[in-house]
Amino acid sequence: MPDVAPMIRVKVLFFGRLRELLGKSEDHAELADGATLAKLFEFYAGKYPPLANFRASLVASRNQEFAAWDTPLGAGDEIAFLPPVSGG
Amino acid sequence: MSTTIGQDRIALQQLPIDAAELMHHVRGLEDGAMVTFDGFVRNHSHGRATKFLEYEAYETMALGKMNEIVSQLHERYAIHRVAMVHRLGHLEVGETSVFIAVSAAHRGAAFDACRYAIDTLKKTVPIWKKEFFEDGAVWADGELPPAPPEAKSAS
Repeated sequence: MPDVAPMIRVKVLFFGRLRELLGKSEDHAELADGATLAKLFEFYAGKYPPLANFRASLVASRNQEFAAWDTPLGAGDEIAFLPPVSGG
Repeated sequence: MSTTIGQDRIALQQLPIDAAELMHHVRGLEDGAMVTFDGFVRNHSHGRATKFLEYEAYETMALGKMNEIVSQLHERYAIHRVAMVHRLGHLEVGETSVFIAVSAAHRGAAFDACRYAIDTLKKTVPIWKKEFFEDGAVWADGELPPAPPEAKSAS
């Protein structure tokens, strides 16, 4: 058997300016088990380089709660990278 | 999309907000005061004439955060009922985008709770507005919600 870390699959949601930048509101990503929110963001910034400029002005959520960038992901998580909110 | 905590009314909706109906719902005979906040679409932004707005939300999370705010209101203030409704989709100038009503036996708690509710909503609920002008459109400047601190583990 090849010696590889088990992979997990997560759902990723995009809103507002990020949805427009990526041209989609939802995606699925596969990462090594134990990867963090920061790692997932790096993966998308690699695919969509302009996204990297937004890192400092985004907050991440995991399963609909705000989460620190070093939070490890779990299989089936629902992740979003949220721009500054402007309701009201 | 909406939920009810006890007698409270919390919703995100595409349809126009019926403020009179919400006030009627919140107002109880044991109350002596109700404070409302009516947020509506301004006809200008940063010196430009606004044509219309579009709101979008991370709906399930937004509703969860609105529920948290209403729970906090009951913990912190001597209030009775709360209505908190935010509109989504296309809004014309003058239309209500958010309506909050808080009833209480006495006015002080109702004022304080209503102020806390709208201030916290604007900081923590994942809703976004895009402003459309004659010559283009921009996502409104917003507030970045606070994230939990990173774990400072040595591993």
